[in-house]
Amino acid sequence: MNKRGAVKLAGVGKSFGQTSVLREVDLEIRPGEFFSLLGPSGSGKTTTLRIIAGLETASAGHVYLDDIDATLTPPGDRDVAMVFQSYALYPHMSVFDNIAFPLKMIRMPAAAIAVAVREAAARVRIDHLLTRRPGQLSGGQQQRCALARAIVRKPALFLLDEPLSNLDAKLRVETRVELRRLQRALDVTTIYVTHDQEEAMSMSDRLAVFMDGRIVQIGTPEEVYGQPATVEVAAFLGNPPMNLLPARLEGSDALVAGARVATPHLAGLGHRDVMLGIRPSDVTLGAEGIAATVTLCELLGEDMIVDLDVGGLLVRVKAPGRGRIAEGERVHARFEAQRLHVFDKASGARVAV
Amino acid sequence: MRPGTAGNAVRGAALMLAAALLLAVWAVPVLLAVLTSLKNEKEVLAYPPSLLFEPTVKSFVTVLTGPTNIVPNLTSSLIVSIGTTILTIIIAVPAAYAFARLRLPGKRPVGFYVLATQLVPPIGLIIPYFLILNRIGWMDSYQGLILIYLTFSLPFAIWLLVSYFEDIPREMEEAALLDRASRWQAFWHVVLPQARGAIAVTVTFVFLNAWNEFLFAVVLGGATVKPVTVAMYNYINTEQTQWAQLSAAALVAMLPVIVLGILAQKHIVSGLSAGAVKGAGRR
Repeated sequence: MNKRGAVKLAGVGKSFGQTSVLREVDLEIRPGEFFSLLGPSGSGKTTTLRIIAGLETASAGHVYLDDIDATLTPPGDRDVAMVFQSYALYPHMSVFDNIAFPLKMIRMPAAAIAVAVREAAARVRIDHLLTRRPGQLSGGQQQRCALARAIVRKPALFLLDEPLSNLDAKLRVETRVELRRLQRALDVTTIYVTHDQEEAMSMSDRLAVFMDGRIVQIGTPEEVYGQPATVEVAAFLGNPPMNLLPARLEGSDALVAGARVATPHLAGLGHRDVMLGIRPSDVTLGAEGIAATVTLCELLGEDMIVDLDVGGLLVRVKAPGRGRIAEGERVHARFEAQRLHVFDKASGARVAV
Repeated sequence: MRPGTAGNAVRGAALMLAAALLLAVWAVPVLLAVLTSLKNEKEVLAYPPSLLFEPTVKSFVTVLTGPTNIVPNLTSSLIVSIGTTILTIIIAVPAAYAFARLRLPGKRPVGFYVLATQLVPPIGLIIPYFLILNRIGWMDSYQGLILIYLTFSLPFAIWLLVSYFEDIPREMEEAALLDRASRWQAFWHVVLPQARGAIAVTVTFVFLNAWNEFLFAVVLGGATVKPVTVAMYNYINTEQTQWAQLSAAALVAMLPVIVLGILAQKHIVSGLSAGAVKGAGRR
């Protein structure tokens, strides 16, 4: 038997009245994949998830679930389970009844329900809380309860809508690992919506970056991080994000912020105005390089983030957090020329080197 | 005694006093009715009013078992009030849910109309209602009076329930729909249990309004349908007002409302606590 859980969106669009919130979304998600929809708020990622769930109907295009056109299939017939950002637990039911609800709806016998509920609850370690009401649980426990309700009927597809955003920072990182482990163990296609690039990078097999109602890039976390397709993606990913500096390429040199950087490998691009991108970790502070002034220094523990004024432009550097650099100090910054990203000045698209 | 404690004591006393005054506004008429109902007719009219008298339950006996007892009228009131309440809830709950959730064409004008019906003074509607009931032959009938009561209980109940339904997060129903519930099952298993408190409140108000209604009952009722509010009026006539019996009848008529209040209170409280979920849904 073929594995279930393939999702395909073809030319999907969505508008509410005159406002178009989603345009021309094409996406293929493979069975068993952990796939993230990443983007800032209002970029259309949640709408896409809701269209896959059937809670919204696409205004244009088609949704295929396991190669069957499901564009107009009601949510209950899609064999998908969803964890909402607010968890959407039923407050008047016990944890047991919450988890049992999807099974009751398909009229599973009570004895089988009891077994399945206990198994699902044990998987997320809330089997000791079954008699409680959701209101008597902590945020983390509520989140697990919502997860258990989703996994209990073994759906073909999991949809997770920012499930970690209501948890505190420490719990969020722990749950991230657990969620990934759970997904691996259950081997169910999972679509994960998040605005947190760190979550998307650390958990996904592949991800799609949304901007303004469109997908701007699809790829593995390494691809998206290492070779951002546009200036927007470059500016969105990474913490702190990539430095983006207007520059002029002149043969084997680049003019950046009034300084000249040797870029022999970019000689093929000729003479043109571009946007140059460089990750904060690809800039080093040392005795030589471009002269700069330190404007701010934030110590993060292992590392520190140093803000530099380079010829009037802000350049952020991730440096080892040993000692502090005083604000106003004169330093020299060296760009790793090999790690420079080149974007077209007008379109913002990545220029192949 | 420390000054803080003294201040607290003063504040406590002031609060008690304020509460007592507010309570008195409600309680004094009831207490007067109780006292009056236990007097005989001569003592009622004595001036200055006698506080020390020999209590008698004669008025209660007359009101409940005498030749013009109010028991049939209590039955009449119950039929009208319960009928109105049940029909109101059956219609208003789904209607309010639809207003709160579904994208219906003409939702706004209909919503305004619902509220507008509350703006019309009832006295202005008496004659049209009279004409309508007369035309369809429903004068002095239970269905007639219940129909008229529905015209003002329904808008009120819908308006009251809509806000409760709007407070129930949509995501909860969406979760139920994804869990293979039909729209009806989502409503029945997820929405309705959370609206229990709201429904209890609505039942109380609708029943109360119907039970206390006098104006429409006196005009549109008659020999067959004569609610207790109308019957009580019989104790006031041109020759004399039988204050003791009137008070006794009023007290008897209060009982069902008090019982309902006590019953509903429990559900209102449990309804409220069921909705109190931190983080999950109710944000």
